[in-house]
Amino acid sequence: MSIVVRDVNFRYNPGTSLERTALEDVSLSIGRGEFVLIGGAIGSGKSTLIRHFNGLLRPCSGQVTVDGMQASEKKVRSRVGMLFQFPRQQLFGRTVFEELAFGPKNFGLRGPEIEKQVHYALELLGLGKDISAESPLRLSGGQKRLVAIAGVLACRPEYLVLDEPLSGLDAENKSLLISALRLLNSNGITIIVVSHRVSDMLSLADHVYWLDRGRLVFSGTPAEYAGHGSLPLPEITCLMKELRTRGFDVRGDIFDTDEAFREISRMLGPKRVTGATEQ
Amino acid sequence: MSTLLFRYVPGNSFLHMLDPRVKITAMLVASISIFMSSTFREMAAILLVFYLLLLISSVSPRVVFGSLRPMLIFLALIFTLQLFLTGGDPLFSLMGLDATYQGLVKGSLLILRFILLLMFASLLTATTSPSMMTAGIERMLRPLPSRKFGISSFDLATMMFLSLHFVPLLYESFNHLRDSQISRGLDAKKNPARALYSLSVPMIRTAFSSAEDVAVAMESRCYQGHHRSSLHEPQLRKKDLLSLLFFAIVMLLVI
Repeated sequence: MSIVVRDVNFRYNPGTSLERTALEDVSLSIGRGEFVLIGGAIGSGKSTLIRHFNGLLRPCSGQVTVDGMQASEKKVRSRVGMLFQFPRQQLFGRTVFEELAFGPKNFGLRGPEIEKQVHYALELLGLGKDISAESPLRLSGGQKRLVAIAGVLACRPEYLVLDEPLSGLDAENKSLLISALRLLNSNGITIIVVSHRVSDMLSLADHVYWLDRGRLVFSGTPAEYAGHGSLPLPEITCLMKELRTRGFDVRGDIFDTDEAFREISRMLGPKRVTGATEQ
Repeated sequence: MSTLLFRYVPGNSFLHMLDPRVKITAMLVASISIFMSSTFREMAAILLVFYLLLLISSVSPRVVFGSLRPMLIFLALIFTLQLFLTGGDPLFSLMGLDATYQGLVKGSLLILRFILLLMFASLLTATTSPSMMTAGIERMLRPLPSRKFGISSFDLATMMFLSLHFVPLLYESFNHLRDSQISRGLDAKKNPARALYSLSVPMIRTAFSSAEDVAVAMESRCYQGHHRSSLHEPQLRKKDLLSLLFFAIVMLLVI
């Protein structure tokens, strides 16, 4: 079962002088349990594409199905949790608990079931129960984002779609969020991340898609992405590829610094490396 | 995301080239005519004038109708209130309230007035760039003795421009927020009170924080309301005045 996008075309403001083609003949398939990255420059159609996954937008032509159902069906909304850019703007509850209970209440759950869902979401993200009595507006930027994700997880989605989840976060909060996503994926939740900068999450991804002006121009594994040549790569991957072309015996498909450190250590031998930075 | 709400549509039509003061005055003339009209025939004639202006402007009708969409609930509410709360010959009954023929006519005329007003306003914003609009409003307000009250015409024009500029931005923020809450299962039809609360609280916060951001950005770029030059200096030409005169005569003949 999966999300299947077939020959989707979408235009904003059709028939006006402000008409803009956002998606052109896009086809892709996202399997259950996968960690998928959808990259592309700003304005390439990424956010428009994901809005088709739970029926917020309907294609001008083509088809989007989720587990065999049309994405426009209301049932799909509880399966596909979606978190947009600047999620903290959507927070409104007086307490974190109230904020997290919003989704389950909308899906018709009652008292103890709601409580169960809220605690499930808090636990899944490693947020303590103490936080549930606090006002979400008084939390730090990173915590607000985690609470916003928990708000979506409380609906127990099978697919979690995140639009630019790392934008505006500092290094500490970035790594907090990446760990949370890794944890969620290991719990069987399909993660779909949309970002104009895929470098931070390439090491986690099973599959990468790249959009350019509304067209899907790349689909493949992170290793294939790294070997493509004309797509933006993380600095560390560029460095490793450069070392490889200069004759060093290192892999070129490395996307994070920890892995690069281990690879260089292997090449140099353990005695040559001092002042280890590995955390 | 892309909204059509009171958007400027760049172009080179006759309407685009007119002085903004002329277009704003014409809008005032149109508003007076719309509120003075009291029959469907007069409304139809104003609609015809609007249609001709739309043809001259080369603006797509969808842009104009795009501005009407968010107002539909408001219009429906006004119509329903008029339909049921106006006394007269009963048409049908609903929950103990009588819908009347007089209410039907009154409600239809009232919402037609609002629709026409919104359409003219939308045409004004579609054919006048924001900077020209500000310059036009400022020139029109300059003769007023507002400085005696501590407000310059520049301040007033900037406030009006920002208000206009914020409408599509806030609408986009609203759409964004609505998508977020719908993704968490919000169904406004099933639970309107919850929808109102979950949308209005973050929306008010967004509006205040955006306004603060703009104020800080303007101040940090040395904004002072006393006197500012304009990028586009509006020039009132003979053809502008003749166009306004012609429009005013047509609207007078219509009502």
